[in-house]
Amino acid sequence: MVRVEGLHKRFGKLEVLRGIDLDVRKGEVVCVIGPSGSGKSTLLRCVNLLEPPEEGRILLEGEEITGAGKGKSDHVRRRIGMVFQQFNLFAHKNAIENVSLAQVRVLGRSADEADAKSRALLERVGLSDKVEEYPERLSGGQQQRVAIARALAMDPHVMLFDEVTSALDPELVKEVLDVMRELADEGMTMIVVTHEMGFAREVADRVVFMDEGVVVEQGPPSDVLSNPREERTSRFLGLVLER
Amino acid sequence: MDVFFQQYFDLDVISDNFEFVLKGFAETLQLAILAGILSLVWGLILALLRAAPGRAFAPVRFLSISYIDAMRGIPLLLVILLISGSLPFLPLPESLRIPQWLGKPDPFWYGVMALTLTYGAYMAEVYRAGLDAVPFGQVEAARSLGMNHSQAMRHVIVPQAVRKVIPPLLNDFIALMKDTSLVGVIALIEVVEAGRTVQAETFNSSALTLGAILFIVVTIPLARIVDRQISRQQVRFQRG
Repeated sequence: MVRVEGLHKRFGKLEVLRGIDLDVRKGEVVCVIGPSGSGKSTLLRCVNLLEPPEEGRILLEGEEITGAGKGKSDHVRRRIGMVFQQFNLFAHKNAIENVSLAQVRVLGRSADEADAKSRALLERVGLSDKVEEYPERLSGGQQQRVAIARALAMDPHVMLFDEVTSALDPELVKEVLDVMRELADEGMTMIVVTHEMGFAREVADRVVFMDEGVVVEQGPPSDVLSNPREERTSRFLGLVLER
Repeated sequence: MDVFFQQYFDLDVISDNFEFVLKGFAETLQLAILAGILSLVWGLILALLRAAPGRAFAPVRFLSISYIDAMRGIPLLLVILLISGSLPFLPLPESLRIPQWLGKPDPFWYGVMALTLTYGAYMAEVYRAGLDAVPFGQVEAARSLGMNHSQAMRHVIVPQAVRKVIPPLLNDFIALMKDTSLVGVIALIEVVEAGRTVQAETFNSSALTLGAILFIVVTIPLARIVDRQISRQQVRFQRG
């Protein structure tokens, strides 16, 4: 579904990704963990073509998407849903308009069709009573659920989650994770950058541990999280799970 | 004391010339509103050209920045004189050389052009501040949904930027309205020129005082609207 081959990304002199290989199968949920600065978010942003890599290739459904022309990357992004740490809801649009905007403007759906789809999605993320609310009047957890609905509205083939619970108050984390868990159960292909080890353990098919721009180890959560082979992994897990 | 008072507030002079000054003020308002609307549009175009992405648009960015810098550095009066004193002599169709559109005399249209060219540059800078103030995450969210640059600009960035800059745009409009008086120099009888004509005939300044009052009647409510907008935005900002 998504295949990353030998990916390198530099910001000036800083090499953030130093040769990443990753293969994500259809319907698979891959959780990417690692210390901050390890390049997890950059990896997601490269997959969504928000950052152009210096080296390496990314394939989506067998087709190379790196180095695609301008118009083509817009096209590719329709198949990739992305949810951000800071929600990034459109501040001047209410919840349903947030979900509908790109359906109408990018996919060319009629206003009625988009509206119906948006309502269904907002209901699915448990927000049928907040349809008309503006982002500033929603809690962080509610905003993030609208953002998930907004990404799902494009019928993406794969969803990317970039530390989507990191900016949330602790009591709001669960409502977002629950939505993601449901999504995983329905068979959505997901790449999830997260610090929620409980979520990774329970939902991930595979856990990828990254450090200093490389994949240090990967495997089923029971291996990577409970019996890590690499010393770096166990040191990181020690720090995280200690809290 | 009476002499002082009479110099500025002679009710006879005011009532004799009330209609004349008011007609001048109507001219001022028409000039301000028309040039104001055109500057708003021209300024947004300049700001968007300045924000055009990628290497291909580098010349466009350079041109718009040069234009904005130049226009902000040249006195409006000079632009007015430059246009009104040159356009009639250029090899152009007569309707452009000596425009008399909508039954308005050519100095009116030279004034509209000069004000738009100059204030478009000022407003472009205001829009730019607004565009810069929209968090980059908004662009990324729009792009991640498959919108291209112009869709993201049109549906996500510009609407938010414009909301943020309504107060400074209104401020620029107030300044533009006051600057319409410079068009009096090329024989458009707007409110200041009307007052000056009366002053020259009567050696009394009350017609100019009337003009000043008319300005204030319009600009003070505008300034209050600006203040209210700003405080409303601050409330929103604090809540958000």
